[in-house]
Amino acid sequence: MSKAVIIDDEAQIRRLLRMVLEARGYEVSEAADGTAGLQEIAFHRPDVVLLDLGLPGLGGIEVLKRLREWSEVPVLILSVRDQEAVKVEALEHGADDYVTKPFGTAELLARLTVIQRRRFTRQNPHISSGPLTLDLLHHEATLHGETLKLTPIEFSLLKVLAEHAGRIITQSQIIRQIWPTQASDASEGLRVHISHLRRKLGPTGPRLINEPGIGYRLVEE
Amino acid sequence: MKPEARSKQEAASAVMVAQYSGACMIVLLLATLCWGLLPHTGYLFSALVFLMAIVLAGTRWNRGPVILMAVLCALVWNFIYIPPRFTLHIARLEDVVMFVLFFVVALSMGHLIARLREREEALERHHQEREALLAEKHRADLLAESERLHRTLLDSVSHELKTPIAIIRTALDGLGEGDPYAAEIATATRRLQRIVDSFLEMTRVESEALTPRPDWCEMGDIMHAATTPLEPELRGHPIELTGTEEMPLLRVDSRLLAQALGNVLHNATVHAPPGSSIEVHAALAQSQAGQGELELRVRDHGPGLTPDAARHVFDKFYRAPEAPAGGTGLGLAIARGLVRALKGDMTADNHPEGGALFTIRLPVQIHQTPP
Repeated sequence: MSKAVIIDDEAQIRRLLRMVLEARGYEVSEAADGTAGLQEIAFHRPDVVLLDLGLPGLGGIEVLKRLREWSEVPVLILSVRDQEAVKVEALEHGADDYVTKPFGTAELLARLTVIQRRRFTRQNPHISSGPLTLDLLHHEATLHGETLKLTPIEFSLLKVLAEHAGRIITQSQIIRQIWPTQASDASEGLRVHISHLRRKLGPTGPRLINEPGIGYRLVEE
Repeated sequence: MKPEARSKQEAASAVMVAQYSGACMIVLLLATLCWGLLPHTGYLFSALVFLMAIVLAGTRWNRGPVILMAVLCALVWNFIYIPPRFTLHIARLEDVVMFVLFFVVALSMGHLIARLREREEALERHHQEREALLAEKHRADLLAESERLHRTLLDSVSHELKTPIAIIRTALDGLGEGDPYAAEIATATRRLQRIVDSFLEMTRVESEALTPRPDWCEMGDIMHAATTPLEPELRGHPIELTGTEEMPLLRVDSRLLAQALGNVLHNATVHAPPGSSIEVHAALAQSQAGQGELELRVRDHGPGLTPDAARHVFDKFYRAPEAPAGGTGLGLAIARGLVRALKGDMTADNHPEGGALFTIRLPVQIHQTPP
């Protein structure tokens, strides 16, 4: 059974999330503020954490920073609209994904499932996501069994996105992985490569969805 | 050079002329005075008078005139007073020493005092600049503070309004599909959410708290971001998108533009009969290298705009008389506010073949290499 910790200052939200998650077989514990939340996580060692960004006192970002000092537990951010900058900050500080309030239950559960999947480890030289397979050994990508002709940069871009399949990845996270030494703003280059990659993946491949102001999400159709 | 800078410089040089001529006049005056007193005082007295004059001049005047005065005093003193009189020749050794000492003391006094005064002035100037800077900073702080307050208020109102809606939404999901009562609550909740979003967005647009953050994007990304939140409404209105094939990357704040476009699309879904398509045409006109104008035309197959509606459709809270109940009359006002924040504008017309036609035009940067 998966364990989840909910950190939100709204009692009703906590109660509802508890019901939703318990119906899905989660064992749930909750906390109304950041400090208590960190204690809950340390005590219960959950498989996933739902963290509200607008916490009183110790803010969501601060909780995340402290949590990441000692834990790699997947964290889903609960946020309101128009907080793009804060969402990006949370993702940069190790949050795994976010949902925007008001969110649908289906969306929430889908996100939880994705971020709880075992994170990509370097043990396996293959990444697959739906009809897409990346062979890291031979630097080859196949879609529906057919080899895609990708440039080295497009390949590493697709690799970063496929590693995070279904999960949001911020623009600067992508840039840091592909051009680690790039000092200047590489967003233009990134957009150009994304645009090329989309063409090569075509209408039947996975979709590279842009979330304005935040980043990209590879979605299997 | 700017006119005021020139007049300032002219004034400064006038002051210098006055000071130089003043220095000569005073030396002349003092020389005459001491000449009169010479029988009673002896020639050393005049040296002290000259020194005092130099010190006094130093407290008022610039360095140049003071040094000129010091030199003049030394020469005049030598010429007129040191025996043999009316020659620059000095007979006695002690007089030579005296003259040299006088010269050195007068020069350094003049120099030191003038420098002291310059320092004082610089300090004063510095102080004034600091005061001005502090005042400036204070004003900026106040402005930032009021903006922050506004932001905080908006955030907290936003949080207070959205939390109950989020709770209702999640609770409804828990009730499950199929219950007709729940479906009614769901529809009403969506409507409520739209109203709350509109009010908050309008406040944001009006407070000019919108700072566009342009970045490179594809037209497809903008369309996707505009249509995703409208998924339920657009189910009955297929979108026919043209003009975006082969469109290069654009640099624009895609979030704001998508929101504006979304509001226009939502307006079309409200007014056009169910099942009718909404046509979106995008066109790019390049004005110069890398710069251009993006035009988005949204046409619906509804009844179109009456002349009155065409005039007022972007006014806040304007609702067309025949509009179905349940709108705030804010969507298009927000859309135009957003487009204007992006330095563009928006117009409303009727399509020659019927239906309303909204046109968004805004400046964009265009990516140069073809994708």
